[in-house]
Amino acid sequence: MIGITSGYFFLLLLWGGIIYYALPKKQWIISLVLSLLYYFFASTPWTFLCLLGASTIAFFSTKYIARSYNETHSKKDKGILFLALFLVIGLWLGFAGRDFWITPANAICTMFGREMPFQGSLWAVPMGMGYYTAQVMGYILDCYMGVAKPHNNFFKLLLFVCFFPQLTTGPISRSHQLESLYQPHQLSYDNITHGIQRLMWGLGKKMILADRAGIIVNTIWGNLSAYNGYYHWVALLLYPVQMYCDFSGCMDIVIGAARIFGIKLPENFKNPFFSRNIQEFWQRWHITLGNWAKDYVMYPLLKTPLMIRLSSRCKHKFGKRMGRFIPTALGSLMVWLSMGIWHGGIKHIVGVSIYYWFFLTLGDLLKPAFSKLTDFLKIDTKVFSWHLFQSLRTYLIYGFGAVFFRAGSIKEAVGFIGSLFTMFFNGEYNPWIWVDGSLNHLGLDYKDMTVMICAVLIVLIAESMNERMNKPVITWVAQQNLVFRWGLYILGFFALITFGLYGPDYNAAAFIYGGF
Amino acid sequence: MTREEAYERLNRVFREVFDDEEIILQDTTTADDIEDWDSFEHINLVVAVESEFSFKIPMGKVITMKNVGEMVDIILEMGK
Repeated sequence: MIGITSGYFFLLLLWGGIIYYALPKKQWIISLVLSLLYYFFASTPWTFLCLLGASTIAFFSTKYIARSYNETHSKKDKGILFLALFLVIGLWLGFAGRDFWITPANAICTMFGREMPFQGSLWAVPMGMGYYTAQVMGYILDCYMGVAKPHNNFFKLLLFVCFFPQLTTGPISRSHQLESLYQPHQLSYDNITHGIQRLMWGLGKKMILADRAGIIVNTIWGNLSAYNGYYHWVALLLYPVQMYCDFSGCMDIVIGAARIFGIKLPENFKNPFFSRNIQEFWQRWHITLGNWAKDYVMYPLLKTPLMIRLSSRCKHKFGKRMGRFIPTALGSLMVWLSMGIWHGGIKHIVGVSIYYWFFLTLGDLLKPAFSKLTDFLKIDTKVFSWHLFQSLRTYLIYGFGAVFFRAGSIKEAVGFIGSLFTMFFNGEYNPWIWVDGSLNHLGLDYKDMTVMICAVLIVLIAESMNERMNKPVITWVAQQNLVFRWGLYILGFFALITFGLYGPDYNAAAFIYGGF
Repeated sequence: MTREEAYERLNRVFREVFDDEEIILQDTTTADDIEDWDSFEHINLVVAVESEFSFKIPMGKVITMKNVGEMVDIILEMGK
């Protein structure tokens, strides 16, 4: 099994890159061979059949249903579209989404005297299946809507589905975003340096910060009764940092690796912790999944005659604002449910979907009231302190929702959230842990803790610069003088090999978002 | 329908949907220029445009249009 932080992955990048640029006319074929090689070594070979199955369904169905914008579709086209989507989703349900049916299926079998015939642990979840399933569905729908042209060559489609850096954890790309996969790329200083810098930045986020934060979070979650009181607040506040640096670090590695091959993948994050509200947060976090749900779930749903009629009736009955609010809230719920289903399991539907949907909808509903309240209290909403308050509020709302993500069950998540408040009354109140060195006994010693805090500050400064300049800080660094620029690169490199958690005694933690 | 006529009617639709009488549309106007034009309001806008011009905008165009200029192009094309 080779992950994207392993030496094998970088060897594949190095040798693959050399062959890729040595044979410019066959680059897409080399990309495909590298992708398939990676898939075989990083996953179990038989799961390749799932990838092949989804690609085959997409290839043959789009051959038939692809039309231009203005052409109308026959009933047969629609039938084939639904069949293709049904098969792709069925494939996903059978393997990656098995949590939805294993328990009910076992319950039914038990009723007929057969003891638990389905065991999820018997077969592995195919690597990246959630990502390539979403990408394949998007491709089929894009071809149906006339947004994309179907591939005439099956192997080109296969490359779109399994391009190896993004196969692991996304981003979920659209067909038009990966057209450069099939174009020749000259060896470019800009692509190579930018790719390597981005990759190293991602490795730093993952191996210096996320894995350290993960040790503390796992220690507390591993023994919630022993680590009680304010320890739970430590886990609550640190988990979003771990989650963000793990997932966005992974994205940096993926986007950087693709850039070495001259391919620009879509961005998945845009400084989410600078968001002023939870709605903005979700426009900046896992952007490609949000866009996918918006374009393929929410828009088609809100454009159905039923929803248009509902909107019109609500306008007549409750006024213009509610006429807009009710259908929008329903459309938003569908988006969140689809994202919860994609994440898999009831826990995610409740934690990821219902929880965030509730806060989004509440925020939308109360927006005019909040606006009046801030006017009434004469709060200056343009100053830094107000922005800071809004960002911290958003961080907390996200953090509480992430508890469902981290917990083993809904019950455990609810118990954990309850304990954050009951500790003030049940004798678990332990404020001294913040100052008496107890935090240095959660798996990280004083030195490691210092490294982690410094890393958090560096990421915060970099993201703050991204936000202010509205461009990646890497681009800013690339514009600086040679000595400063290379000084930073060398410093970053040595920081990575000195402070990164790796080596024969250390197993890099699996990426949190690698399991979908 | 001329481009000017399409713009005049479209301007009315925008002002109605966003409750803002000061909106003046241009080819380059995007969601970034109108405060409440988010992904939810986009579909309300599309439905209002469809109602004003009495045709359905294909979903492929709904998800790919980038600015008002492209929206007007679609209106003129669909209105032929």
